[in-house]
Amino acid sequence: MIKRLAYRFFRWFCHPDYFDEIQGDLEELYQRNVEQSGRMAQWKYLLQVLGLFRPSLIRSFPQPYLTHPAMLRHYFNISTRVLLRQKLFTTINILGLAIGLASFLLISEYIRFEESYDRFFTDADQIYRLSTVQIVNGEVRDKDAAIYHPGPQTLKEELPEVEEATVTYKFDELIFRQGESIIQEQGVIAADSNFFSVFDYQIIQGKLETMLIEPYSLILTESKARFYFGDQDPLGQMLEVLGSFDRPFKVTGVMQDVPEKTHYKFDMLISDASIRERTERESWSFNNYYGFVKLRKHTTPTALDGKLEAFAKKYMGKNPNERFVIYPVPNIHLESDFAYEPESPGSAKAVNFLRLIALFILLIAWVNYVNLSTARAVNRAQEVGLRKVVGAAKRQLISQFLLEALLVNLVAGVLALLVSELLLPYFSQLVGKPVTPHVWNHWPFLLNLLLFFLIGTFVSGFYPALVLSGFRPIAVLKGKFHNSRSGTRLRKGLVVVQFAASVVLIAATFIVFRQVQFMHGKDLGISTDYVVGVNLPDVPGDQREANQTSVQSLSEALRGHTAIETVGGTSNLPGGDGTDINSTTDKVGITGFTELIDGTTYAQYNDEYFLDAVGMQLLAGRNFDRNRIADSMVVMVNHAFLRRFDIADVDRMLGEEVQFDWKGGRNKFEIIGIVKDFNRTSLKSQVEPTIYFPRYAPSNLVIKLRPEQYHQGLAYLQETWAEFFPNAPLDYSFLDDRFAALYEQDQRFGDIFATFSGLAIFIAMLGLFGLSSFMAMQRTAEVGVRKVLGATVPSIIGIFYRDFLVLLGIAGLISIPTVYFGMNGWLQSYAYRIDFPWLLAGAALLIVVLFALLTVGYQVYQVAVLNPAKTLRHE
Amino acid sequence: MKTYSLGEFEEIVLLTVGVLYDEAYGVAIKDAIEERAERKVSVGALQSALKRLEKKGYLESRQGEANAQRGGKPKRYYTITAFGKLALQQNRDIRNTLWESIPKLALDFKFS
Repeated sequence: MIKRLAYRFFRWFCHPDYFDEIQGDLEELYQRNVEQSGRMAQWKYLLQVLGLFRPSLIRSFPQPYLTHPAMLRHYFNISTRVLLRQKLFTTINILGLAIGLASFLLISEYIRFEESYDRFFTDADQIYRLSTVQIVNGEVRDKDAAIYHPGPQTLKEELPEVEEATVTYKFDELIFRQGESIIQEQGVIAADSNFFSVFDYQIIQGKLETMLIEPYSLILTESKARFYFGDQDPLGQMLEVLGSFDRPFKVTGVMQDVPEKTHYKFDMLISDASIRERTERESWSFNNYYGFVKLRKHTTPTALDGKLEAFAKKYMGKNPNERFVIYPVPNIHLESDFAYEPESPGSAKAVNFLRLIALFILLIAWVNYVNLSTARAVNRAQEVGLRKVVGAAKRQLISQFLLEALLVNLVAGVLALLVSELLLPYFSQLVGKPVTPHVWNHWPFLLNLLLFFLIGTFVSGFYPALVLSGFRPIAVLKGKFHNSRSGTRLRKGLVVVQFAASVVLIAATFIVFRQVQFMHGKDLGISTDYVVGVNLPDVPGDQREANQTSVQSLSEALRGHTAIETVGGTSNLPGGDGTDINSTTDKVGITGFTELIDGTTYAQYNDEYFLDAVGMQLLAGRNFDRNRIADSMVVMVNHAFLRRFDIADVDRMLGEEVQFDWKGGRNKFEIIGIVKDFNRTSLKSQVEPTIYFPRYAPSNLVIKLRPEQYHQGLAYLQETWAEFFPNAPLDYSFLDDRFAALYEQDQRFGDIFATFSGLAIFIAMLGLFGLSSFMAMQRTAEVGVRKVLGATVPSIIGIFYRDFLVLLGIAGLISIPTVYFGMNGWLQSYAYRIDFPWLLAGAALLIVVLFALLTVGYQVYQVAVLNPAKTLRHE
Repeated sequence: MKTYSLGEFEEIVLLTVGVLYDEAYGVAIKDAIEERAERKVSVGALQSALKRLEKKGYLESRQGEANAQRGGKPKRYYTITAFGKLALQQNRDIRNTLWESIPKLALDFKFS
């Protein structure tokens, strides 16, 4: 084997005059060696062959053409001359390629950013989040990102595969006081002392081993430390936390700033021991905590499935439908479908859509180059013919034209770098993420640029090079030249691809915008206009009563003002994200009517004014009444709740009882009212089966202002608030703003789509502009003859249009179904969606047709108005 | 006096070809050098030297017989030309003169 390879190699490089002799010698030596040393002889043979590879013995090899400097210089000269002579085409090519490349690279950078979430931890692929899921009828139904407080630690003790475990709690908001100023902090979490063994954030100050052990310890990120303490040493300083803590915390450490690229962002961290009272109370009964485990190296997560099930059975015996699952942390940002995520996740779908757009744009730019260069082949035919006559080989010509493509792509590449760097801030703003500070020193970007510059050169340059180098010199020099039929067909095919891609992008943009608009305008079932939601401050247990008194007095005072219609109280403000609600997975039913069934039931706690404040509508029954003693055991339910039990007759349910699967204590509640369904959050989700319990100690207020006087109303709210809650900042928002914020991501998606489809169409039309200008010039003589024979300008334009209309028609046939299948899938992710808007898809096609006809028409017109006497002079 | 360029290895090859007289072909030359000069010779080094010497006109060659041991390939036998002999002669003369010019003292080494 080795000998045969060596022999082949030798035969390949050896000078033929010497081959027989030397090969004979080698063979003789080999035979002798086989007798002496057996298998080693092969290696000795190879060694000898390698030793023979020397200049005096190898044959002459043909010189590679491009390595000859004079030839290279010549090609370079010719290429630059040609490119400079045809300024329009060169500009179109370079501009298209530069914009295409820049868009593609920027989008790739954004995708890289989205996909790099949570990968910066050492051993990121060993970190998993421990979460809770409900199994209903053997299927995973409700997935909840959170876990019970003792979960992670117990799991670590019981499963040898778990190397580290930590449990954390994310506060909605904590209020800090420093001196006179009161600061709301949104990014505070509580974590146990193992936190940094799982997430290896860098500790800048403080002792890693001890800083999270003591209760009321506080760790700040670098920027928070600078914010609170400036240049002072933050270690050992005290910060007062108001609200339910109402006591000072001691700074025991400073850590690096948490990067943007994690799904679990925070900027302050308190010790788990500080919330011991809460964690002990909630223990295995409430899953409100985010738990993470680090598995040992080479542990496959699926191997844990059985153990996790046994683990859940052991600790969650009372609720046999509950299971624990682990989910890889780096996948959370884009792929998680869990409820109660700490931040609303990105969308893998959007990322894939963007990837597609990026490819489309690049493709369109490449197609431009291919089309324009092959169309212009006519101009180069004589050059090619002459070169062939004087002895140029086909390979030489191919390399010449590839070099030309390389030049164009190189200029475009440099331009793309420049454009990307300049547009980066706008791009970051568009996608809403700090993708990267600069691109020119960001090596993955540069690497990508290099890669796609090379691919682009090849993709765009190879086919034209092949066509150009394939001309037959005799035919060409005789002046008989025809663009080959297959070449024209390919060009037409590529134009169709461009048209189709443009139509798809425009139609998709329209549909995204339409859906967002639809969600903004959809009747939610409640009225959110001029309704202000106010977050009430949290207080320690012993102050709760006093606090509620203030809330009641505040409400009363507000109700007394003329600018304010009413003030209601609730546990959860409408327009929050999907997680802003209470829920239970206990079995529920209606006594005497239904079995107790599995599934998640949602719960909201309102007072009697809430109904009016948000315009909730009663289908049947009555509102809560705090003066009726019996009203402590009553509920209202929404229509969706009854639908879950397939109950159509709403009125009959009044007076019946909702029953929970709770042992002992009260578990039956009389239904006094049935409310019309309303959307509490984004229209991506259905209205959930919800039970409304009465509670007169709300944690949020909804204040309905009179539209014509809402300024006064707001002013009065601020004034009165300061009176009753001097220590807490007023935290309010309009409900319709809250709902609008829910669609921010979709809106952003639409904006990105619009921007890049605009660019794609621009590039495509640029190409079409060049192509049609060239075609019109080519047929100048034909146009002249037609005019002499009596054709009018419109009829000439019509002749050109016919070709393009056929292409546009084919593009329509391809693109409309593509849009339908692509966008219908996207729309299906919304519970409330528009029907597929065929009209808009048609409009998109129409826009492309219009643009195309304008472009072609303009170019043809230029030629058609020429005087035939001039154009035909040379014929 | 015309100078004949002849490298050290070339000289050895040339001499060996002379020694083997009528039997000087690749493998034989290689064996002879390895035996007499006690140095390893690769086919590559030997062949490039042979080709060089032939080009300089110190050697001439003729095709010999083929045999099965050589995979059916013919041997090529080398013989020294008159020109080659002159080159060897001149090399030898130069060395002799140099030897004789060395003062006696300079060579008075003791080998212990």
